[in-house]
Amino acid sequence: MGWIMELDNPSKGKIIASGIIPFIFLIILVAYIFGPGSDLLNLGVPLPEIIIEKIDFLESEIQVTVRNTGPIPVEVVMADVNDRIQPAAIEPDRFLERYETALVRIPFEWNEAEPYIIGLTVEDGTRFERQVEAAAPALRPNLEFVGLFALIGTYVGIIPVMIGLLWLPFIRKISKQKNHFFFALTVGLLLFLGIDSIEEAFEVVDDHLSGSFNGVLLIATTIVLSFLGLYYASEKLTGKADSLRISKPVAIGLMIAIGIGLHNFGEGLAIGAAVGLGSIAFSTFLIVGFALHNTTEGFAIAAPMSRGKTMIGKLLGLGMIAGTPAIFGAWVGGFAFSPFSSVIFLSIGAGAIFQVIVIVLKWIRDEGDKNLSSASVVSGLAIGMLVMYLTSILV
Amino acid sequence: MVFILFGMFGISVVLVIPTISEAQLEKKTFVTHTGGVISTTGEVIDPLYVASTMEFDPMKFLREFNYGKVSQLSDGSTLREFTIIAEDDKIMEISPGVFYNVWTFNGTVPGPTIRATEGDLVKINFINNGSKEHTMHFHGIHPAEMDGVFESVGSGGGRFTYEFEAGPVGVHPYHCHIMPLEEHIVHGLYGVFIVDPKEKRSPADEMVMVLNGFDTDFDTENNFYAANTIPFYYQHHPIQIQTNQKIRVYVVNMVEFDPINNLHLHGNLYHYYPTGTDTVPSFYTDMVTLSQTERGIMEFEYLYPGKYLFHAHKVEFSEKGWIGIFLVKDGDHQDSQNGVDYGT
Repeated sequence: MGWIMELDNPSKGKIIASGIIPFIFLIILVAYIFGPGSDLLNLGVPLPEIIIEKIDFLESEIQVTVRNTGPIPVEVVMADVNDRIQPAAIEPDRFLERYETALVRIPFEWNEAEPYIIGLTVEDGTRFERQVEAAAPALRPNLEFVGLFALIGTYVGIIPVMIGLLWLPFIRKISKQKNHFFFALTVGLLLFLGIDSIEEAFEVVDDHLSGSFNGVLLIATTIVLSFLGLYYASEKLTGKADSLRISKPVAIGLMIAIGIGLHNFGEGLAIGAAVGLGSIAFSTFLIVGFALHNTTEGFAIAAPMSRGKTMIGKLLGLGMIAGTPAIFGAWVGGFAFSPFSSVIFLSIGAGAIFQVIVIVLKWIRDEGDKNLSSASVVSGLAIGMLVMYLTSILV
Repeated sequence: MVFILFGMFGISVVLVIPTISEAQLEKKTFVTHTGGVISTTGEVIDPLYVASTMEFDPMKFLREFNYGKVSQLSDGSTLREFTIIAEDDKIMEISPGVFYNVWTFNGTVPGPTIRATEGDLVKINFINNGSKEHTMHFHGIHPAEMDGVFESVGSGGGRFTYEFEAGPVGVHPYHCHIMPLEEHIVHGLYGVFIVDPKEKRSPADEMVMVLNGFDTDFDTENNFYAANTIPFYYQHHPIQIQTNQKIRVYVVNMVEFDPINNLHLHGNLYHYYPTGTDTVPSFYTDMVTLSQTERGIMEFEYLYPGKYLFHAHKVEFSEKGWIGIFLVKDGDHQDSQNGVDYGT
């Protein structure tokens, strides 16, 4: 409130009061609406709504995580498998307040790789269902799967990024014009990744998250916050690059690496969740697709780094920052999938990517005579998007 | 850089660890109706396991016949008077924990089983206490104005008197015939009308089974099926009968939406009288298929004691509640003809 106090006529009390009075009226309004006589405002019929967030297939048992996403408390009173009533247990109990979750346990001899529809019925007889395309044993975080996911994360995240970094000597040897082409190419790649993250976040919202979370606005808000936070941090970082004894190219490379790292966390999350939920069979083909796709990320880091001295250690560090989060993401997605946190992480990743795009564009503009419409920049951007699109078909 | 990586690692660990550690709460173990065993700290939701505290008693309904207020007319024939009240505001627990707005004749779904002898004059004082128009439409032979189709009875106490001669012999449904008809039927406005032959059927342990269903989420597919309304009820509370005792079941299929229903009896076959209009059984079988309002009489005796299932062999229906058990006990080995008499 510092700037307010600097105004002339500084009557502190009045200022504070004028700031608080609207809040007081707001509180009175809310109290009135919820208070006696509130029945007047009850139009329409509030309908119960629950969402099955997760289905796990254990030995001789199906476990269903359900959340009350409607405007009123509900009772979950019955479970069914493929529309056939099954006895079940519900923990901690069948009464769900708004947003509360419960675990429904259905003893059932399920068959691997067969599709199942799990239904839950609430006290007014409304049935909610969710389909699993192919039943697969639920992942338990034992060492074997921790290792397997680490391996997948390494293939998908670290190795491709490292390979991408090997383009550094090539980028260094070419002319400034061509250099701008490759920077713009990076921007194109990143733009695609950002859109990709948003699309994935939308998918999670559609499939798992109820309307009451305002999924679309949750994504938008998180992206903007993530963008602003990182943008502020990167301005500080590149501004203070000298005093931190790192060069500007390294600072930019670091911001790109962090942005890509956050994106890869989201990507790992998606892969882990997909394996964990049994919605895809994780084939070697898919890993190859992701690997090809992500090699371009290494290139994005290498591009700005080509401007400074070659520092193998720093380069490797940046590669790790960009690549390793895929492993962590896979663990979280596979063992502790929650649609809400997935949307958050994917959106943070998208915000981070857009922030990196702004930094790189600014850099190109500063270096390239305040011009973003040169042939090399435009073609680089276009080809970047195209390359990403083509490699994404493989995934 | 390193601390960012550690940060990431930290977040992952925090998110993953809770799924590894199992909460150490006290566990109860339950055996469910399918034989599955659950060990849980929570509640069991099983339409069979959960003790039924239903307002409607299928066991009482099973053998309850309503003969009306009997008087003799001057020409010597019998007059049977019934009062039937329709309502449509009742919320009933139709399966443990599931509450549904039932529309009722005399407060129950199905309505009372009305029984008369062929040739009796049946007089029904119908009162509509509902909020919508309702009627009573009997399957059988009667004058057009007694058909309960075009003479809608107004809501909030509207009255109509149905008068007709009971006939033909057999088992028939009655139901409301106001449009939209499907809506009025699936909410529960139906019941059974039995016309006995003048010469009487043989004595037997008699029961009524109305095969019905409920579409509780209004998607024109039934969520529950049952014999006499409550899903799984007779599996939880087996119907007790005796060996060498003639059992006579009046079966009426009132299931909507699904084109057919059927009834399969275990460990036995039954003599089947379609619509009950003939005194000679048409089939000796353990399986008949019934379309909408199709009905008949089944007669059988068990030789061996024990538990025998009866259910829809359209297994979807049985897995949604249309299943029950006959618990056959050793009878006193008397001639079955001296068993339970079948009413007056």
